[in-house]
Amino acid sequence: MTLPNFLSNRRDFLKFTGLMAGTAVMPRVLSMPRAYAQAGSTLVIAAPATPQSLDCNFDVSLGTFEAIAALYDGLLGFAKIPDPGVPTALREDTAFYADKPGNVNMVGKLAESWELDPSGKRVVFKLRQGVKSNWGNELTAEDVRWTWNRAFELGALGAFYTAVSGLKRPEDVKVEDKYTVSFNTDDPNPLLLKIHTNLYTPVYDSTKCKEVGGTDDPWARKFIENESAGFGPYKLQQLTRGQQAIFQAREDYYGGKPAIDTVVFKEVPTSASRVQLLQGGAVDIAQYLQPLEVISLKNAPNVAVETVPASFMIWIELNAKIAPFDNPDVRRAMNYAFPQEQVLNAVYQGLASPLNGCMPNIYPGFTGDHYPYKYDLAKAKELLKKAGADSGFKTSLSYNAGDPVQEPIAIIYQSALKELGIEVELNKVPAGSFYNFVTERKQPMIFYVDSPWCPDPGYSLTLYFDSKSYVNYSNYANAEVDKLLAAAAATADEKVRLDVTGKAQAIIMDEAPWTFVAYPNYTMARKADIKGWTYYTSNNVRFQDFSRG
Amino acid sequence: MSIRAADTAARGRLHFFLSVLRARPSFALGYAIVAVICLCAIFAPLIAPYDPVKADPANFLKPPSWSHIMGTDATGMDIFSRIIYAPRIDLAIALAGTLISAVLGSLLGAAAGYYQTRRGIWSFAAGFIMRASDVLQAFPVFVFAIAVVAVLGQSLYSVVIAVAFVNTPIYLRLMRSQVLSVRRMRYVEAAYVAGVSDRAILMRHVIPNSLAPVLAQLSVNIGWAILLTAGLSFIGAGVEAPTPEWGSMIAMGYQNVITGHWWPSIFPGLALAITVFGFALIGSSVEVLADPSRRRTLGGQIQGRQDAAKPG
Repeated sequence: MTLPNFLSNRRDFLKFTGLMAGTAVMPRVLSMPRAYAQAGSTLVIAAPATPQSLDCNFDVSLGTFEAIAALYDGLLGFAKIPDPGVPTALREDTAFYADKPGNVNMVGKLAESWELDPSGKRVVFKLRQGVKSNWGNELTAEDVRWTWNRAFELGALGAFYTAVSGLKRPEDVKVEDKYTVSFNTDDPNPLLLKIHTNLYTPVYDSTKCKEVGGTDDPWARKFIENESAGFGPYKLQQLTRGQQAIFQAREDYYGGKPAIDTVVFKEVPTSASRVQLLQGGAVDIAQYLQPLEVISLKNAPNVAVETVPASFMIWIELNAKIAPFDNPDVRRAMNYAFPQEQVLNAVYQGLASPLNGCMPNIYPGFTGDHYPYKYDLAKAKELLKKAGADSGFKTSLSYNAGDPVQEPIAIIYQSALKELGIEVELNKVPAGSFYNFVTERKQPMIFYVDSPWCPDPGYSLTLYFDSKSYVNYSNYANAEVDKLLAAAAATADEKVRLDVTGKAQAIIMDEAPWTFVAYPNYTMARKADIKGWTYYTSNNVRFQDFSRG
Repeated sequence: MSIRAADTAARGRLHFFLSVLRARPSFALGYAIVAVICLCAIFAPLIAPYDPVKADPANFLKPPSWSHIMGTDATGMDIFSRIIYAPRIDLAIALAGTLISAVLGSLLGAAAGYYQTRRGIWSFAAGFIMRASDVLQAFPVFVFAIAVVAVLGQSLYSVVIAVAFVNTPIYLRLMRSQVLSVRRMRYVEAAYVAGVSDRAILMRHVIPNSLAPVLAQLSVNIGWAILLTAGLSFIGAGVEAPTPEWGSMIAMGYQNVITGHWWPSIFPGLALAITVFGFALIGSSVEVLADPSRRRTLGGQIQGRQDAAKPG
């Protein structure tokens, strides 16, 4: 057979093959929306990091939060309400309810019902029956007991959770019958219920854990670090650290199979790359973006951006054990010299609100009445003079190289302090060693970003301002504050608690152990067709919330 | 007579140099770039319109305009002023680091070469120096520099030491190979037989006669050293913020490129590229001029050109 005449020269042949290739591709292009909808059961997330360890008793890294939420469930959760500012988003209802048990609006997760003893020293949970783990074992009261025993035995984060919930010994968690478990404390404890909404108090499948751990590893540490044994909506299909984690929805999840079958959680360390992937359509959600990137995405096609007030706080620790910050007047002056409004505009592009308190402003019990520190150099000078430091001093400010907002804030603050004769040397600390720098408490000034996960004033304030707290990185110590916080921890009477925590906030704000910077928003940047996002005070996404629509 | 001869020789050299620049304009470009950079470094306070380290958060990320010809960065600092000030740091670090490594490397290299065949502790020491430099050179330069800065802590001095440290083996090897040939020269043997001490032989006879290739290497290395300094600052291991320095300016701005704010990183990137290019051109000119055979070829070309240009 000979070639048709018009194909006999090379150029015509090329044109023809090009045309053929074009028509071959056309149907695909036209059917793209359909193919897209079929892929709807997969969700791809670009995150700064994959989980390091899957054991929430030891790991608090970014990707671990998402993994724990997907693989495990706890006893309780907060009821969800629409976000007052962003109608397409939901959030937890953390408000104070005088008429509800524990004064909180909760829904049962693994617990079907719960009964809080009026003494505030005992809570009894009735578990849901027929709940299966990802290994097929049924949830029983023994699983809850074993989980809290593990926390007691392994210490670390577990020790923190047992302490804040007032549990002194493993026997305080009692199996009442197969599906009933009780928590008993010596003193009334205000967090008896709230602590079970926490992301990091999930329940393990003790049958599986005992089976794989045997006698060598009775708490299944090796297993839980890399795999999961829980009652959550997803199971782990693959975890390649530094690359991606893949989660598969569970058919037999007690709450019904989640809408998204497969979640691919990809590590993309640079935020600019995460933005590009979202804009190009390669991922469905891009996490932890910089304020400028969020702004640039607002006009991007097929991308939706929601930004809501969150439990995040960013501040600068003024180390009370290092001169001249041992003098409250100097610390007050440092706050008057901080150009907060300019920082919020220039660095956060308005995606944050001024930090005008010492706990999250979205939590019950917060008061913003005690923040007097509007940018005022004259006032700062006056205070420095009173402290005998009017000729200025030299100090250093450490910031995290891994958090791009901290360097510009530090530079702006440095320029502002120069006007007062305060010379600040900037110390850029690599992300890997930054947390060590903070916990050593040897820096005169260091940035810190944190959010107390339990929406409670006593919990939040005790974390940062109790003189004995591990997280009190500014070395702040005030006997009166310690007394007030102890009083708040020893009663379940919410009126008394609101009163004493309010007084504590007034003292703390006056003594200014921090330079108060901002409440950064939490931002969800997603494809427009991803629905169901809920903001949690633990600042992570939960895959089971999402669907495509 | 001797003064006049020297004068003529100097003029001849200058004349030759100028003809070289005419024959190879790329060399002239290199010298011009480096001259401009040096002038910037010296007269920065007179040229720069703003304080290079003063944040002005009211004017953040302003695009290039008449008041800020290269725009402002995320904290409102003027990018043009910072670019003008940056060579003060970059050049100083590169020069200091390279000079330290050249002096240290040359001395150690000379000793290693001179004592290599001696018996006993001296030969052991010479061998030890060479093996130590092998170990240093086994690491990738950049990784090694990061490690040095990590150990010493983040400051200007640690960057200088890092630059000096990674370059020392280069001079060490260069000097040693030169010394190995020079020490067999008759005049060295004569000095040795005459009872001159080792130190005097090294200082007076061996080192001065082995120095030429080291000097040639120097100019090439300064360009590399600037790049290394900027690289260290880019990954955050170099100078402290907000010291005006090209690498750290690029690092501060590169994430903003995707949001359309290209000026905070593109301008310092260009400045860095042009500077390194300038030093590379000077390096290649030194290479040509220091190599007698290539120099002769070039001389021939110039001669040919001048002959052709003559009327006649």
